Amino acid sequence: MSTAAVELRGISKRFDAVVANDGIDLVLARGTVHAVMGENGAGKSTLMSILFGLVRPDSGEIIVEGEARSFSSPLDAIAAGLGMVHQHFRLFDSMTVAENVVFGAEPTRGGRIDRAAAAARVLDLAERYGLDTDPQARVGDLSAGARQRVEILKALHRDARILILDEPTAVLTPSEVTSLFTVVRRAAEAGTTVVLVTHKIQEVLDVSSEVTVLRDGRVSGRFVTAETTSAELVRAMTGREVEIVANPGTGSLGDTVLEVEGVSVAEARVERVSNVSLSVRRGEIVGIAGVSGNGQHDLVAAILGTTAVSAGRIRLGGDDVTGAPVAARRAAGLAVIPEDRRGEGSAVTMSITENLSLGHHRQPPIGRPNGFGRGWMSLAGARRRASEQISSYDIRTSGEKQPVGSLSGGNAQKVVIARELSFEAPLLIAEQPTQGVDVGAIEAIHGRLLDYRASGRGILLVSHEISELLALADRVLVMFAGEIVAEFDRTQASAERIGAAMAGAAAAAGEEWTA
Amino acid sequence: MIARLTRHPAVVPIGAVVLAILIGAVIILLAGLNPIDAYAAVLQGSLDPRNLDYTFAVWGFICGMGLVAAIPLRMGEFNLGGNGQLVLGGITAYVVASQLGLPGIVAVPLALIAAMIVSGGFAAVSAPLATRFGIPIIISTLLLSPVAVAVASYLVRFPLAEKGSGNAQTPVLPEDAHIWSLGDLRYTSVGLLLIIAVMVIFYVVDSRSAVGFELRVTGANRRFGEYAGLKPGRLALGAMGSAGAVAGLVGAIIVLSSPYRFIDGALISPGYTFAGLAAALLAGGRPALVPVTAILFTILQVGGASMERTAEVPRQLSDVLQGVVIVILALRVVLDARRAGAGKDS
Ligand SMILES: Nc1ncnc2c1ncn2[C@@H]1O[C@H](COP(=O)(O)OP(=O)(O)OP(=O)(O)O)[C@@H](O)[C@H]1O
Ligand SMILES: [Mg+2]
Repeated sequence: MSTAAVELRGISKRFDAVVANDGIDLVLARGTVHAVMGENGAGKSTLMSILFGLVRPDSGEIIVEGEARSFSSPLDAIAAGLGMVHQHFRLFDSMTVAENVVFGAEPTRGGRIDRAAAAARVLDLAERYGLDTDPQARVGDLSAGARQRVEILKALHRDARILILDEPTAVLTPSEVTSLFTVVRRAAEAGTTVVLVTHKIQEVLDVSSEVTVLRDGRVSGRFVTAETTSAELVRAMTGREVEIVANPGTGSLGDTVLEVEGVSVAEARVERVSNVSLSVRRGEIVGIAGVSGNGQHDLVAAILGTTAVSAGRIRLGGDDVTGAPVAARRAAGLAVIPEDRRGEGSAVTMSITENLSLGHHRQPPIGRPNGFGRGWMSLAGARRRASEQISSYDIRTSGEKQPVGSLSGGNAQKVVIARELSFEAPLLIAEQPTQGVDVGAIEAIHGRLLDYRASGRGILLVSHEISELLALADRVLVMFAGEIVAEFDRTQASAERIGAAMAGAAAAAGEEWTA
Repeated sequence: MIARLTRHPAVVPIGAVVLAILIGAVIILLAGLNPIDAYAAVLQGSLDPRNLDYTFAVWGFICGMGLVAAIPLRMGEFNLGGNGQLVLGGITAYVVASQLGLPGIVAVPLALIAAMIVSGGFAAVSAPLATRFGIPIIISTLLLSPVAVAVASYLVRFPLAEKGSGNAQTPVLPEDAHIWSLGDLRYTSVGLLLIIAVMVIFYVVDSRSAVGFELRVTGANRRFGEYAGLKPGRLALGAMGSAGAVAGLVGAIIVLSSPYRFIDGALISPGYTFAGLAAALLAGGRPALVPVTAILFTILQVGGASMERTAEVPRQLSDVLQGVVIVILALRVVLDARRAGAGKDS
């Protein structure tokens, strides 16, 4: 009997014109953590979906624990001992955490779901693996990080022996990542085999024992983690060296483009944001750090106007927009890259062109703002504009008609970024702008954000990545429990200090505290 | 390959039709009759050259009522109030054409326009009900429809009733106020051309205009639309207003056509609303497909009568088949919503 938990041999899959997987071999040794890396669209998710029975390969063999398998659905894969945490959430928003976790494998009593047992099971798992969660909370109310924990609990609940994690850390904060990796290590020690898809090299170096790198649907490198370097991995992924974009430092500051004054947001009587004040000026990137669910997203929603404030005022470029509708705020000079790409930032059934056009569809070259053609769109103009953006943002696609939902995760993110940056609004709010994008693209996006600032516009950057905040922001505010608990300027900011403040240690950051 | 084929968007609609036809066959068999004869009679009855005039007229009405459902469906809303909107248009057209004593060249267009305005306004009420009071459009249209039907019924029984007739109907319209006919065709009139024109307009607006784009975005992902600054309330007002206007137009055309009067129940009983809804659902609201799917329901509708005559299968079977198609398509909507969390991204 071999020690391989899973062996994939010669897996190929083509979607119309795109060869997503081209003869991939992958061997996962039992009880190890195996990282899979590669650029956006390299074929990682496709390969994982094939292993999990979601996608049928055109050719190739899947051997699980010594037995050749052909999964016709994820149910077969689950029965064979596999579990998968998907790149995007597959949860029922209207159900509770406990219901979601046990869904499909419910503890029953007298033929009915035993809610108490389900809740107990969730608490037990959560405690054992150190995943903080409330079994009774409605999933729709949870932050991205909390949802991610629910997904992981779901796989753990079914006692998966082979756990596939497709970019589990894209929306997690550093402390959440640390606790996730504690879970992963514990699971591996207990004999579980883990496949980890990620773009973050540090994570790979920290937690995996082997690495397979994909490029354009093929294996471009196999490494033993202990014997490799991050430069070597980057070269295998991109075929080149990636230059780290240097932040040229603060330029000259201009007028204030955003002023938030004593804003509170309450939802169902719970105060999500309490008395927050901040401002962003032209030529400035203001960062907001915080563990997800501490009010950052509610603050963004309040500025955009999709959530009402319960107190305070919001001014965009001098106009008071506190009670104004979203359209008026966008017209006053606001663009937003939202955290929830699928739920809020795109229409997955619509084409790349249509997704890129929304909001630009009444302006040239798509719309005709006045005169005879007013209210009509030029489809040719929209297409031309889309193909320009596809090449300038390096969106890997079979064409501008491809629905956004069938793009790879990182490429879908680039669509959202391209659309919002091209508004050239005086204020850009960027929430997790680089979630799910590969190393090369992160640098490209960081470069664009710095150019955006250099062109005399302001950015409010909400990120879980402390490294991203340190690389880009001129000032970093830390949110905890709905309040801004600390502020650091560029020279004072460090990963340790921000991290401590994010964990709620406002007192420890006392010297930097500014109201 | 097979997996790819089964995921093609046309599979469910076509499957629904095939399944409905099979279920119909089983019902006919259970009744001890011959399904092949019955279906042959349906096709013969509807496609018989001598009947084509009538078939075309019915196709036009089903297309019209298809738009009544399809326009709001574009933004994900269900308009179940087609009957009320249709009847209100019919009675308005009758009043304008008969009571104002205008010459035909003015009376006919005026009657059509008035019907569109009244029905459009009536349907548009559902939009503020949804935005201001949170009553879903699917509910308010369903509840308001019988009110309009009852008002029309009252009018035709009392103030507008034909004296000395036992039937609940108005007197015949003056010759001058009949809708213009096409040559010597009896059923198909200029009205059909108007409905075709409206379909073309819907197609062009849907695919080329900013508003059409905004409707489709809202239908695909409402939160995405709101985030981008679209106003679902205003879009709903426009969509419901136009849907109601089309229903009013259809009602007016029916009343201004033979037998040139408003007969209580005559606009509703042929089931154009239901057939149009089924056609719209089958087409997934897509403007270019509505006239195609409407053909199917036209054949069922028109052929149903001859099926009853020659194969002795009650024409209600047509309604059953339509119902089956709607249930299957509705099931798909529900299942899709359930699976919404499980789409592909990655
Ligand atoms: N259902 C589909 N239909 C058409 N093309 C698809 C489909 N699924 C994936 N693709 C294409 O296959 C390629 C590989 O996609 P995949 O999702 O495997 O990439 P990935 O490596 O996971 O990228 P990312 O890091 O961005 O998540 C992409 O070009 C994508 O557009
Ligand atoms: Mg992926």
